[in-house]
Amino acid sequence: MSSGPLALIAELTHRCPLHCVYCSNPVEMQKSTSELATEEWQRVFDEAATLGALHVHLTGGEPLARADLTELVAGARAARLYTNLITSGIGLSEKRLDELIAAGLEHIQLSFQDCRADAANLIAGARSHRLKVEVARSVRRRPLAFTMNIVVHRQNLDRLDEIIAFAEQLQPDRLEIANVQYYGWAFPNRHALLPTRPQVERSLVIVQQAQERLRGRMRIDYVLPDYYARYPKACMGGWGKRLLLVDPAGSALPCHAAGVIPGMQFDNVRQKSLAWIWQQSSAFHQFRGLDWMGEPCRTCERRSEDFGGCRCQAFLLTGDAQATDPVCSLAPLHRIVEREIERSNSNAGNAPPERDTAPPSPAWTYRIDPT
Amino acid sequence: MPPLDEDSRPRLAAGCRWSEGRGADRSVLSPEGAILVKGTGRDILEHCDGQHTFREIVNALAALYTLTDVQRIRQEAANFLEQLREKRIVDF
Repeated sequence: MSSGPLALIAELTHRCPLHCVYCSNPVEMQKSTSELATEEWQRVFDEAATLGALHVHLTGGEPLARADLTELVAGARAARLYTNLITSGIGLSEKRLDELIAAGLEHIQLSFQDCRADAANLIAGARSHRLKVEVARSVRRRPLAFTMNIVVHRQNLDRLDEIIAFAEQLQPDRLEIANVQYYGWAFPNRHALLPTRPQVERSLVIVQQAQERLRGRMRIDYVLPDYYARYPKACMGGWGKRLLLVDPAGSALPCHAAGVIPGMQFDNVRQKSLAWIWQQSSAFHQFRGLDWMGEPCRTCERRSEDFGGCRCQAFLLTGDAQATDPVCSLAPLHRIVEREIERSNSNAGNAPPERDTAPPSPAWTYRIDPT
Repeated sequence: MPPLDEDSRPRLAAGCRWSEGRGADRSVLSPEGAILVKGTGRDILEHCDGQHTFREIVNALAALYTLTDVQRIRQEAANFLEQLREKRIVDF
């Protein structure tokens, strides 16, 4: 039996005022009428802490869409969890921010889609950028740990210098620059989002220079697109090993995207305790540890480091969730990713939607809000 | 950023705090995770309360370990705190 999860990811709702083309929510979302009630979440927080979790990441959708968010933050802190809010900032008034801090909120991660309003609003499918800048200023005026997250991709990676300068003005403690990961809504949009190899190489130099310049002032973390990596990432730190996600309707998943894998049975916190789910649920056992692996992972010296990569990505790209993640250069089906990379680095069939145009290009698939 | 000097008052950075447990597995929680600090590192961090100066911390550590090579303690503690500042775990 494994030890408990280190963190609980609480997807409080799938409702969101934004429609980002790379949203990590599942394409099939949970309706607001099926959302867990306040006291159900409280039980989940208590059980997660008892299992050994140290952090709760309150996310969505947009967690501010929950009218009881302040109560939930207070409940998470009462359960002795480190309380992190992952938000777009839309709906966060100064008053509500003060209430959240008073309730015990310890860290806020505020997402941005770009440094330029027009480009950001195009990605979000909503006029949200200016509001976010205001929220960032409100956050910085308060004694709250503040991370800015900016998602980068083919359309904006060429202005990474400008993006970093924009973040500097807003003075977060940390800046997370994250390349899009190709699950959820990003997968159907990947041809417009996957950067070219020269873009990725330039970005590495720019980030390194900024890290040196801002050392001790603003920490910069950079998440590369794993399609360009030699080896896969240890998705979720290993399946059912470190993280437990509860979706808005109470289903417990080993990762955000696990719902795409056919045949997975997710147990629900309304019927089962979190401890039972962590220890007994078939979904958490399916790819836990090393025994499920086939070759070449089974005998690979990196098997305990990256656990064969991401199961959801393996399924999305190969149709087989057992396969070695095809981003791995050792994967039998690595050619699938090589083809994606080739396509991205040629001009054919890969024209991005026009930037700075309105209405948004029909080339995008926008995230649709659940009813 | 100002370098660490004798009058700096190191403290856990905003968003970082000790976990609730006080046993051997006491860790510092940060937005991204938890750092399990043991041995000397824990001794140093437990003194970083924003009240005591770096000079006082070094002296306290020297007394704790009954060591006379204060210069070495100072250097090692400074390196440790500078590294944690880069990770935004410590501020001074």
